[in-house]
Amino acid sequence: MKPFVFKRTLSGIPTLFGMTLIGFLIIGLTPGDPIEMELRRLGVSFTAEQVEALRVEYGLDKPLIQRYFIWLLDLFRLDLGTSIASGRPVLELFKEHLPITATLSVLAFVSSLALSLVLGTVTAVSQRTSVSTSLYVLTMFLVSVPSFWLALFLLAVFALGLGWFKLLHFGNAQDLILPVITLTLGNAAVMSRLVRERIIAVMSEDYIRLAITKGLSRRTILGRHVLKSILPPLITNWAISFGSLLGGSVIIENIFNLPGLGQLALQAIAERDFAILQAYLLFMGLVFFLANFAADLTNHWLMPQLKEDDHGVR
Amino acid sequence: MNKFKQLLGVSGVLAASLPALISGVPAAQAEDIQQLRIAVKKDRYSVDPKKFNFTTRRPAGQIVETAVKPDENFIPQGVLFETWDYKDGIYSIKLREGIKFHDGQTFDAKAAIDGLKLYDQGRSDFLQIDQDSFDQTGPYTFTFKSEINSSLVIENMTHRGASLFSINGERAENPIGTGPYLLDSYKPKQSISMKRNADYWGDAPKVENITYHFIADDQVRLLALQNKEVDIVAEVTPQMLLSLPKDGSVVVHQSRPIRYVALLTNLHGKAPYDTLKDKRVREALAYAINREQLAQVLFNGKGVVAKGILPDWMFGLGDKHVDGFDYNTQKAEALLDEAGWTKGSNGMRSKDGKPLKLRLVAAYPNVSSVRPMPELLEQMFRTIGIDIELVQVDDSGVYDDTYLATGEADLYMEFASNNNADPTYLLYNLFHSKTPWGYQYTAPGGKLDTILDNARQAQSREEVIELVREAHREIVQTKLAAIPILMVPNFNLSRPGLSIPMFEHADWIDYGQVTQTK
Repeated sequence: MKPFVFKRTLSGIPTLFGMTLIGFLIIGLTPGDPIEMELRRLGVSFTAEQVEALRVEYGLDKPLIQRYFIWLLDLFRLDLGTSIASGRPVLELFKEHLPITATLSVLAFVSSLALSLVLGTVTAVSQRTSVSTSLYVLTMFLVSVPSFWLALFLLAVFALGLGWFKLLHFGNAQDLILPVITLTLGNAAVMSRLVRERIIAVMSEDYIRLAITKGLSRRTILGRHVLKSILPPLITNWAISFGSLLGGSVIIENIFNLPGLGQLALQAIAERDFAILQAYLLFMGLVFFLANFAADLTNHWLMPQLKEDDHGVR
Repeated sequence: MNKFKQLLGVSGVLAASLPALISGVPAAQAEDIQQLRIAVKKDRYSVDPKKFNFTTRRPAGQIVETAVKPDENFIPQGVLFETWDYKDGIYSIKLREGIKFHDGQTFDAKAAIDGLKLYDQGRSDFLQIDQDSFDQTGPYTFTFKSEINSSLVIENMTHRGASLFSINGERAENPIGTGPYLLDSYKPKQSISMKRNADYWGDAPKVENITYHFIADDQVRLLALQNKEVDIVAEVTPQMLLSLPKDGSVVVHQSRPIRYVALLTNLHGKAPYDTLKDKRVREALAYAINREQLAQVLFNGKGVVAKGILPDWMFGLGDKHVDGFDYNTQKAEALLDEAGWTKGSNGMRSKDGKPLKLRLVAAYPNVSSVRPMPELLEQMFRTIGIDIELVQVDDSGVYDDTYLATGEADLYMEFASNNNADPTYLLYNLFHSKTPWGYQYTAPGGKLDTILDNARQAQSREEVIELVREAHREIVQTKLAAIPILMVPNFNLSRPGLSIPMFEHADWIDYGQVTQTK
């Protein structure tokens, strides 16, 4: 186990560095001058000299690669830079916005995990029944419907129609119910399809047929044999889903007016707030790396008989 | 028994309305509001001490005040300044007496000079005051000079960004101003609440507490109003106007038309974006737009046909200096024929084998603000044989760098307004060839530069206005650097029963004076 952990950690370091470099280049080469955009937003006249002076102040006059290495050095000192738009340290902004996104993502992840297992199992084991067909159609619908539409639909029904929820955010746990439901429904629908496919595939294996002929109960077969076989690919998928939830809550946070990381990133894109964007990219890279790492470790722990290579379980 | 109850009810109503009947006051009397909730799009919070404001201008404007404000014609009228005079390059200021900052400090000449000096340390020294020229001539009087010998410094002080803070407070965290409200609580990106300043020097506000809620999504702002979670929606897009409920639960408030919708034309583009160098093609486009139809279809039918990009009421400009363009497709077709663009069998035009195709970029301020105008214009231009490549960009950075700065488009659709009492502000920043805003390809240069330079250097307001009229005509009539389409009011939405003192410039709507009609 220890060499495996060591190898995976080691392989992650160049990946993260590469990602920060590519991210820095992409952000730096994106059209739009953050200083000019900021000054225009203020709606006042400005001169080319003033723009240049501010570029110097924010270090934007230096070549991109030089800026990257400065950023990297600062990163080792846990300094993520200062937001051009707000003038506040990025680390402070992250501390402020991360809790909402993390809570939202964890809740949505746990609930979509549970829902997907139920939906996937029911649609797989009771194929060609009306219940299974209805649930399958429902999951297909939820997979295809855009999350912003679903969010507005839920708001119209439960906030505007029934008056059960408020649209404005007041920092209560209740504020998270509709966003979590929106994220859960879409995510569970996608995850349940994989659960269904894997169960159907495993159920046609010879050893399962043997178990059935031996007279083992369906529950025992599902719990003891099927679930064990389908877990490794599902765990990898769940890890990716968790990362996607963290990154994919941007639109949901915007619609539900939740001051999370997604909203911060969205505004940073519009304002070309490089320091925030770069930190966001780094954060997302770390999340995906850690989620995959956790998935590989879990798989390794669950099925030590599987051989590992540099990329984890195969 | 029932009859007795009815009688009692009728008597009660009569008794309640008796005072109003006696005093002759109409039943629909305005009453003060305890709590007013306003939905705005974004929180532009900053704790950067170099910035002008600590949050979005509108909430900030309730706490800190400017020296002057625009009157109904966008001419400066005194707020903290009582009188001012400009003579021989020197501004002489007399402050209003009896004004105190929220912390009790007297607002006097020293405080005003200190406040104005903050702007020299700011990100954009847009007032361009000569910082070494301040001279306190009395407890409430002082003088200063303009760095660029401009007679328009006072006009620029009508910008909310030029509000005067006390230097005593940490203006990012706890701004100290002279305004009608005090900062109560602030939750970044969520809301900012203010309470009435009991010691306010001016007319007492009618609203006790104001809370601005920041709601980024347009539809959610509207839903919040319908759900009675806010009382007013302050930023209204055309699409919100198209999706208003028909049951009367949402009321539309509007100002006079101020925002222009116009097509800026690329006058200096390189091939293939050089077609509009020929003025006849620009004129043909101007004549091909059915403005009446657009005015009826869009903006709830509240837009009006535009002759220019500055409204006639602003600065007392009038509209006699511009002629406008009527809808005349025959004339448009004749102009294109004359320019050598002949119609083919498919109804589209070409010259020397080159099709007449123009790229129209719709981006400013964002696509949702102008939609479906670009699609409607595309159809109108197609009828006279012009093929339009429609580019809709929802990112101002991409718009600026990819299309404006490179000149890689023929037409730029913009929905904007002159939000400054400086009459030269919009025309100079958009159409002077030294424009700092990146509009080099749509700036005619030459004579217009001279007119605008002269306007900015003119020493009397009458002279400035006359030169602005001349520049405006040059832009929208002679050079067609901008093809005006519509003039649109500033909109607010509210629940029924609210009276909002609407103003053309959104930053100057005084929400403290909103009343509830009984």
